[in-house]
Amino acid sequence: MTDIMHDQVTISPTTLSIHLTINGRDHALDIEPRVTLLDALRERLALTGTKKGCDHGQCGACTVHVDGERVLACLTLAAQVEDREITTIEGLADEDGTLHAVQAAFLEQDAFQCGYCTPGQIMSAVACIREGHAGSDEEIREYMAGNLCRCGAYPHIVAAVRQAAKELRP
Amino acid sequence: MTAHDMKHAGSDSARLEAVGGRLSRVDGPAKITGAARYAFEQQLDGLTHAVLVGATIAAGKVAAIDSRAAETAPGVLAVLTPDTIMELKGASDWLGNPPAKPTYGPLAREVTYSGQHIAAVVAETFEQAVAAAGLVKVTYDETPAIVDLSDGKAGDGIPIDMMTKEWGDAQGAFAAAPVRICAAYNTPREFQAAMEPHGLIARWQGDELTIWEPSQWLDGMARTYAEWFAIPFENVRLVSPYIGGGFGSKALALAHSAVAAAAAKMLNRPVKLVLNRPQNFTSYGGRAATRQTVAIGADKDGKIQSIVHRGVNETAVDGMWVEPLGSVTSIMYATPNFSSKQNVVRVNTVVPGAKRAPGENPSAFGIESAIDELAYELGLDPLEMRLINYAEEDPQVKKPWSTRQLREAFAVGAEAFGWAKRSPAPRSMRDGRQLIGWGMAAGTYPVRRAHGEAVVKIMADGSVEVESSSIDMGQGTYTILAQTAAETLGVPVEQVSVKLGDSHFARAGVTGGSRLAGVMTGAVYKAAGQALDELIGLALSDPRSPFQKVQANTLSVKDGRIASPRGDGPDLSIAELMSAIGREKIEAKGDTMPASTTPEERYKNYTTIAMSIPHTEGNYSRHSWCAHFVEVRVDEDFGTVRVSRVVSALDSGRLYNPKLAESQWKGGIIMGIGQALLEEGIVDRRHGRIVNGNFADYMLPTNADIPDIQTISVGIPDPHSSALGGKGVGELAIVGIAPAIANAVFHATGKRVRDLPITLEKLI
Repeated sequence: MTDIMHDQVTISPTTLSIHLTINGRDHALDIEPRVTLLDALRERLALTGTKKGCDHGQCGACTVHVDGERVLACLTLAAQVEDREITTIEGLADEDGTLHAVQAAFLEQDAFQCGYCTPGQIMSAVACIREGHAGSDEEIREYMAGNLCRCGAYPHIVAAVRQAAKELRP
Repeated sequence: MTAHDMKHAGSDSARLEAVGGRLSRVDGPAKITGAARYAFEQQLDGLTHAVLVGATIAAGKVAAIDSRAAETAPGVLAVLTPDTIMELKGASDWLGNPPAKPTYGPLAREVTYSGQHIAAVVAETFEQAVAAAGLVKVTYDETPAIVDLSDGKAGDGIPIDMMTKEWGDAQGAFAAAPVRICAAYNTPREFQAAMEPHGLIARWQGDELTIWEPSQWLDGMARTYAEWFAIPFENVRLVSPYIGGGFGSKALALAHSAVAAAAAKMLNRPVKLVLNRPQNFTSYGGRAATRQTVAIGADKDGKIQSIVHRGVNETAVDGMWVEPLGSVTSIMYATPNFSSKQNVVRVNTVVPGAKRAPGENPSAFGIESAIDELAYELGLDPLEMRLINYAEEDPQVKKPWSTRQLREAFAVGAEAFGWAKRSPAPRSMRDGRQLIGWGMAAGTYPVRRAHGEAVVKIMADGSVEVESSSIDMGQGTYTILAQTAAETLGVPVEQVSVKLGDSHFARAGVTGGSRLAGVMTGAVYKAAGQALDELIGLALSDPRSPFQKVQANTLSVKDGRIASPRGDGPDLSIAELMSAIGREKIEAKGDTMPASTTPEERYKNYTTIAMSIPHTEGNYSRHSWCAHFVEVRVDEDFGTVRVSRVVSALDSGRLYNPKLAESQWKGGIIMGIGQALLEEGIVDRRHGRIVNGNFADYMLPTNADIPDIQTISVGIPDPHSSALGGKGVGELAIVGIAPAIANAVFHATGKRVRDLPITLEKLI
């Protein structure tokens, strides 16, 4: 039994050379196929704004955008998203530092405390508004329910999403 | 790292910036842009990764560990077992008591709970360590475990005499009372479940140890590391710039911390070890499961004659945790006769620990449910019941309250909620198939006090730096200390940078018990005052100062400019004055301790909790207070409960920043909603194992579970509680939420649920 297990491990690591496009920049990486997008961001690329809360797709802290849609980076292998447009919290504000309307609303409404779930909340909120799911408080609550916040900032998150949705309305 | 870009946080209004103003979080911009680097996100060259192997039995011995496959797996640097990990020295506990044993092994041979760490794999990458940890083969000699409080082997437990509180003849008065209720109330094992897992990076440079670890208590944890490795306290540097939630769980260096630090020393490489989510349910204690009985005897007009209270909480086989279950019972209502006693029962669990309002939280579930039951027994409104028995002084220590705005909280909360429109009979309010229930409860938390220390520096460019080894886990420490320094010195808040979370800064005690804001605003106020005195003294006396010729006893500083109070004479920015007198900086260290305090006492003050100041010290009894009003909607067919409205009126004294205090209050209320309706650690009775140790099965409230919440401050400055008049904020609001919801559920359904959480099978 031990030998079989051993063999499985020794044969699996095959290094892949991949390119990831993150926040408009190209990153070359040599990684094992089993490396998740989340660990690639945090452990290889020093992009630690994307958080690891559960590593099982249960908390939403690792939410990023892939081709504009919200995706859980902990359930996505890095190799799956080669040649896709990846946006993380670090890429949301303008180059000159001007905050995205959702970021500014989170600050103004105090929609966070410890800040650990916040990047995921903000990435989800941007997508939630873009998806057209910020039409009412009830709808915001439902479509933001995949992002846990243990500090309990939920009412303020709803207020921030409502405010940003109003500002972003075309 | 911890200096914050203030350009988004600042405000035009001086009123916002002052203490008491609604300034946005100064650490906010870093957190919303991803720039805030949390402790174990530091990027270090040569970093290795450790993954723990946990016991799959709850009691017994590790018979053998076969680590050969793991050792030869790719990238593996070491497999540590109880036999191969370096031996550490025993460390004293958080009270400062010396260790029971001279040595400490963080990997266990004797297993006393499921999930206990028994081995660790260190590898070059995280993926390699995870894979190799799965190859470690462990065999056990298993023995029967006591799985929980209801286990037949658990017994009645150990009496904790220091928890006994008695006055009058409680049993006799209860027996003689014309109206009596007696009921048992249970709370399950609950978890803090901070979104940021526990973990750390440990790095040795010679005999100096740097630890990047989320921490509610840098100095206390640094002491533990120093003792484990028998190195001077000063050789340990603990860094914790941001903490992704703690709720009581991140105040101590734990077994996994020791494993990482030992591995780093053995390999002479920095080691990162982060607990995976299931390990966060077994590597440190959540709130102990509790059992209480509350018996209340009253006369026919509702006046309480006696309260008899008995409590039990679980603790570990090899560790002690007492959850003080009589803490609210003994002070909330006036009673001439009272008795409270408590036992602890040893079960095979990790040692339970502090979770938001330890003691007060389950205590309030008991007494605040029981008082509602008594109100129904007497046919009284639950609010009237509470006013009839209002405690005008602390009934236990017979001292006046420092401040107690609870009557105001009842009145303001009831008015905002519309309590007067309540129809009292159960099942008398409905909306279609939904039964509507209105319930209320009170809450309280003691004002825990300690001493603190801060450094305030006025720099040559007129900027101000505040340094402290205290921390910000979301309460707003960065922000309120910036406000305190800005107001005291008379400078715009944008000129103040607050640096926290480094044990080499000025010392601070534990961030727990809702004490930090009161302690640290006091320390910064004192240090900033000293710095200001020195600045003004130099301005008046330095021969190079333009103010030297001014006939003034003092000068005023406002908006960062220094001038004579009459407005005549020179008017300089602080930078211009510093330049004129040739000073690089003015630095003051302020602390709130008596001048006679010895260095040993200071060390003890900051690295243990032995010198905490009792809330009943001197002439007053000091507490925060609150009243919660809750509406629930219960589906008549399915028994599902939704909280649809919460109004809470709270007395935390003076608020240093109401915007941030309201966030903490709402957070406490939301955690209380989770406790009331969702959260329960479920133990597999065959294996003594937590089976729902993850975020899908241990259910936290989500955004969709939470309604609008209104919080109203009814506090007034309390000069007996802190230098600037504040009382505790963070823990108060969770106290009383669960009973308010249980009382509302009774009102909706006529069913009294005394066993949390209130799940649908208990209602249908």
